[in-house]
Order: sequence, then structure tokens, then C-alpha cells
Amino acid sequence: MKNIAFVFSHVPHGTSLSREGLDSVLSISVINQNISIFFVGDGIFQLMRNQNPQCILSRNYVSSFGVLPFFDINKLYYCKDSLIERGYFNKYDFFLNVSIISRIHIREKLEQHDLIINF
Amino acid sequence: MSYTLLVTGPPYGTQNASTALLFSRAIFTSNYKLLSVFFHFDGVLNANKLISFSSDEYNLIEKWVDLNKTFGVKLNVCISAAYRRGIVKNQVYNEFSRSISTLKSSFHLTGFSELARYIEKSDRIIQF
Repeated sequence: MKNIAFVFSHVPHGTSLSREGLDSVLSISVINQNISIFFVGDGIFQLMRNQNPQCILSRNYVSSFGVLPFFDINKLYYCKDSLIERGYFNKYDFFLNVSIISRIHIREKLEQHDLIINF
Repeated sequence: MSYTLLVTGPPYGTQNASTALLFSRAIFTSNYKLLSVFFHFDGVLNANKLISFSSDEYNLIEKWVDLNKTFGVKLNVCISAAYRRGIVKNQVYNEFSRSISTLKSSFHLTGFSELARYIEKSDRIIQF
């Protein structure tokens, strides 16, 4: 079974890219459980607490990320450099238990995967 | 070497889909195998038979159909992304209860489980 890396690198609202990306992660996890998820660049905003997207007429799909542990997807990585660049440091700002690792380690981890799908 | 392409760009407005088409032709000229093209996100619009191109423009949708007819490449379209964008097949429509379809023939509506199977079968997945 192949190791799949999903990379989220866009903001959660404004486009539906990440929302449909999450759908694909959940659907693919039914067949393949070797999934890791990386949040880099603007993707770090995906798991932020206290979002109110209904103010911009968007659905709050972000809480759907909360089901990932029930699908046995626990390998979640945050890019530390992206957090610093955007002014967020604290892992408690995010509602899932994520590992915060440096950009170099993200790269090393990505290399261990058979394929990378970017959303 | 066997490939699966993941296309996330529409046929008009961005370069994603046209680059994917050129890449798929390059696969055949190199004698590699292209198992499937999977359309997701705005890429599902490549299967919209109602899109009309002006005569002096490159008709990308017809070229995907050509690819399917010439080489037998499977053109898979993510069903949930497609329905959100009005790409439907045999939907019952209005008071006449007529069945309509905006899905171009040669394209197939499938789910992500299909993509997951292609991921296992292919040596390379290339995303556009």
C-alpha cells in the first residue's frame, strides 16, 4: 500500500479547493490508511479555532477536520516556519493535535511518501 | 512506467488542463502507459458538454474525447465535485420530467475510491 501525502497550502475560505481536498482525503482513507497530512504556507489557517465563515456566507467545513482521528489519520504536520511567518506559534490555537516541525523536516518527511497531492 | 493524471483546472481560464493534455500526449509518444485521467475540483468542467469554444480556439474538451477514442484512456470525473458544478448525468429535470445530461459522453462519473485504486496501480501520479 502506498504512502500518500496530502499537502494543504491554501486558506480555508475564498475557494472550495481545501474543502474538496478534505473530502478526497476522507474518501481515499477508506481504501488506503497510509495517509499523512501537511499544512504549509497559508494552509496553516485550516485548523484554527474560532472561525466564523458564516459571516462571509461560507459553511464552516473546517470542523469536519475533527473527524480525521476517527478515520485513523493521526499523522498531521504543521510547518513551523509558516507559523512564524504568519505570527502564530501556539499549538493550542489549533483544534487537532498536530506536530509542529520545521520546513526542512517537512521536506524530509515528504520524501518518504510515494506521492503528494496538493490542495 | 504507468501514469495517472489528476487534473484540477478548468478547460478555459487556466493553463492546468491544456498542460495536462500535452503531457498525456507526451506519455504516448514515449511509449509509457497512461491508465487514467482523473478530473477533480474545477477540472470536472472539462466534462461539460455545454461549453462552447469559438472556432479559432483550441477545443480542449473534444481533444480529451479524442484521447479517449484513440488510446482508450479512461476519463474519470469526481462525482461529488461534478454535481456541485452542474455536471450531471440523466437528472430528471423540470415539469416535463425529461432526463438531461451535461456530461460529455466518453467521460465517466466515479468516486474517489476509483482514484485510490489507480494510485495503487500507477507508478506515477501527476497533478495539474
